[in-house]
Amino acid sequence: MGFPLADIAPELHKIAGYIYPNEFELHWGLLIVLYPYLTGLVAGAFILASLERIFNVKVLQPVYRLSLLTALAFLIVAPSPLLAHLGHPERSFEMFLTPHTQSAMAMFGFVYAWYLMVILLLEIWFDYRKEFVVWSRERTGFKKFVYKILSLGTTDISEKALQFDEKVGRTITILGIPSAFLLHGYVGFIFGSVKANPWWSSVLMPIVFLFSAIVSGMAMVLLIYMIATMFREKTINMACINKLSELLLYAMIVDFSLEILDFIQRLYEAEESINILSQMISNRLFISLIISQIILGTLVPMASIIWARFGKVPDEMKRMLFFVAAILVQVGIFSTRWNVVVGGQLFSKSLRGLTVYKTELFGLEGLFMVMLLLALPFVILYVITRFLPPWSKSETQLSTP
Amino acid sequence: MALWEDGLSARKLPQQVIPLVIIFAAALAALIIARKILVPKTFGDLGYYRAAAVDEIASQPISYAGSKACLDCHDDIDQVKSQSKHRGLSCEVCHGDAAKHVEAPDEVKPIKPIGRGYCPLCHGYNPARPTGFPQINPDLHNPGRACMSCHNAHNPMLPHAPEECAACHRQIASQKTVSHHATLTCVTCHTVPDGHLTNPNTVLAEKPKTKDLCGKCHAQGADSPAEIPRIDLATHGGRYVCWDCHYPHFPEAAR
Repeated sequence: MGFPLADIAPELHKIAGYIYPNEFELHWGLLIVLYPYLTGLVAGAFILASLERIFNVKVLQPVYRLSLLTALAFLIVAPSPLLAHLGHPERSFEMFLTPHTQSAMAMFGFVYAWYLMVILLLEIWFDYRKEFVVWSRERTGFKKFVYKILSLGTTDISEKALQFDEKVGRTITILGIPSAFLLHGYVGFIFGSVKANPWWSSVLMPIVFLFSAIVSGMAMVLLIYMIATMFREKTINMACINKLSELLLYAMIVDFSLEILDFIQRLYEAEESINILSQMISNRLFISLIISQIILGTLVPMASIIWARFGKVPDEMKRMLFFVAAILVQVGIFSTRWNVVVGGQLFSKSLRGLTVYKTELFGLEGLFMVMLLLALPFVILYVITRFLPPWSKSETQLSTP
Repeated sequence: MALWEDGLSARKLPQQVIPLVIIFAAALAALIIARKILVPKTFGDLGYYRAAAVDEIASQPISYAGSKACLDCHDDIDQVKSQSKHRGLSCEVCHGDAAKHVEAPDEVKPIKPIGRGYCPLCHGYNPARPTGFPQINPDLHNPGRACMSCHNAHNPMLPHAPEECAACHRQIASQKTVSHHATLTCVTCHTVPDGHLTNPNTVLAEKPKTKDLCGKCHAQGADSPAEIPRIDLATHGGRYVCWDCHYPHFPEAAR
C-alpha cells in the first residue's frame, strides 16, 4: 500500500490555514478565465459599433464595421473554451432540443444563438448587402461565387431598398444593445448567483462584468484598428482614435468606480468572509489584482490616455500612448477575469484557508490551448476581412477631412 | 433575373426580406423536426428527464434479496452479528447478491470472502478514514494468513490487545513518521492507561494540558539538542496553547 501523505507532504506548504480536501485542486481553470474574457470582447466591440450607429458618433465610422466583424470573430470562438472544458462537444446541441428554462447555464445556448443569428449576422448582412450585390457583379471566379451566396440572391440596390436596409440595421442595433448587455450580463449573473461563494455572490457582478466588457471591447478594436492600418500602410484617422480613446477612458472611469464601490461595500458590510478575502487579496491575488488589474490595467492606461488626449502631445506620441494603453487594458481585463474565476476558488469555503492554482502547459485545460483559442479569433477576423473588407466605406467617405 | 423578383411588387415586401424569412423559417423547421426525431418520446412527462427511464430501471432483474430474507433461515448468525461491531452491515455487503440463493437455496450458494483480498477494502489503511477505525497494512499484517483464521467476520473482536498505537491511530502515526517528531514515541506526550488498549472508547488516553510539556524540548533553557527550535514560553503565543497553532503530529505544516 502506498503512503499518500508522503507524496502530498511537499505540496502542503502551498496551503495556508485549513482547507477542505476537495478544495486543493481548482476545477475552473484557465479556460473558464478565457470564456468571460472572450464574451466581454464581443459585447464591448458591439456596443462600440452601436455608438456610431444609434448615437450618431460619426467620427467613429472608420471602426464601425471593424468592430462588428471583431464582435463576430470573437463570438464564433467564445463557446469553445466551455466546450473544451466540459468535453463531449457533440452533446452541446441537446440544450437546444430540450430547453431547461430553470437553468441559467442551459439558457445560454439561446442567448448565444439569438445574439449570433438575429443580431450580429443580420446587422452585418444588412450593412454589407449593397457591397455583396455590387461585388457579385464585378468580381470574377471564386469571389464572385462567394458574394453571390452572401447576397442570398438579392439584387435590389435601389435607393428605396438601401433605405430599408438602413432602417432595419438601426432597429437591429437598438435590439442589439440590450442583447449585448444580456450576453455579458449573463456571464456575470452566473458568477453573481453562486450564493455559497462570498467572492462571487454580488448583485453588482453582472454590471461590473458589463462595464469591464465595454472597456475591453473598445480597447481591442482600437488595437486591431491601429495594427491593421499599420500593415495596410494607410494613415490612422486621428479624430477617430482620439474619440475612441476618450470613450474608453469614460468607460474605464465608470468600470473602476463600480469595482471600487463593490470593494468598499464589502469592506463596510464586513461579513464573516472578509478576513479570508483580505488575506487572499494581500497575498494570493496581490500580483494579479493589485499590480496587474488595478495599477497596470487601470491606473496606468487611464493616466496615459488622459495625458495623450488632453495634454499637448504630438500625434506620433499620442498613437504610441493609446496603443500601450489599449494593450495594458487587455492585460488588466484578462486579470479581472482571472481574479474573479480563480480568486473565487482559492479560499476555502470554511473561510479558514487558502490554496493555490498552477496553470498547466499542455492538455485540454493548459496554457497552449488557451493561447490557441486566443489566437483563433484573430485568424477568423483576418479571413472575414478578406471577404468583407471593413475599410472601404470609411476610407472613401472620410479620406478628405 | 433575380431570385426574389416578385417580392417587391406582388406582396409589397422588400426583396431582401424574403431570403431571410426563408432561412429563419428553415432553421425553425429544422429545430422542430430535430426535436420530433431526437427528443425521446416520454421526455418531460414527469419532469426534466425521460419518464420511460423509470420503468426501464424498474424492469431490470433483481439481484439483491435484502437482509430480511437472510434472517428467515440464518437467524443464528444474525443473533451474533447484531451484537457485534458489524451490526450495521447488511449480509450481502460481504456475501454478494443473493436473490437467486433465496429462490433456490441448495442450487445457488452465495460467495464467502475467505481470502485476504476483501476485508482490506474497509480495513486497509487509508488516511481519509476516521481515526480510531481499525486499519491495517495488508502487506505487513500477518502476511499470507486468511483474515478469517484469526477474526470472526460475524463478531470481529480483536483476538488480542493491539501491540502499538498505530493499530488504531495509523493516520496520526504515519503523519508523525514524516515529521520532525518522528523519533518521539506516543507516550512521550500521552499517558495511556492499561484499559485503553481493550476499551478505547471508555478508557481514554490523556492529552497534554499545558505548554510546559512542549517546553521540555522547546523552551529557552530546555535540556535538549541545540538544533531544536526554541521559544520563550512566557511570551510566545500569548494565552494560546502550543497546539492551537502547531499540529504536534506534523509541526512542519503549521504557520
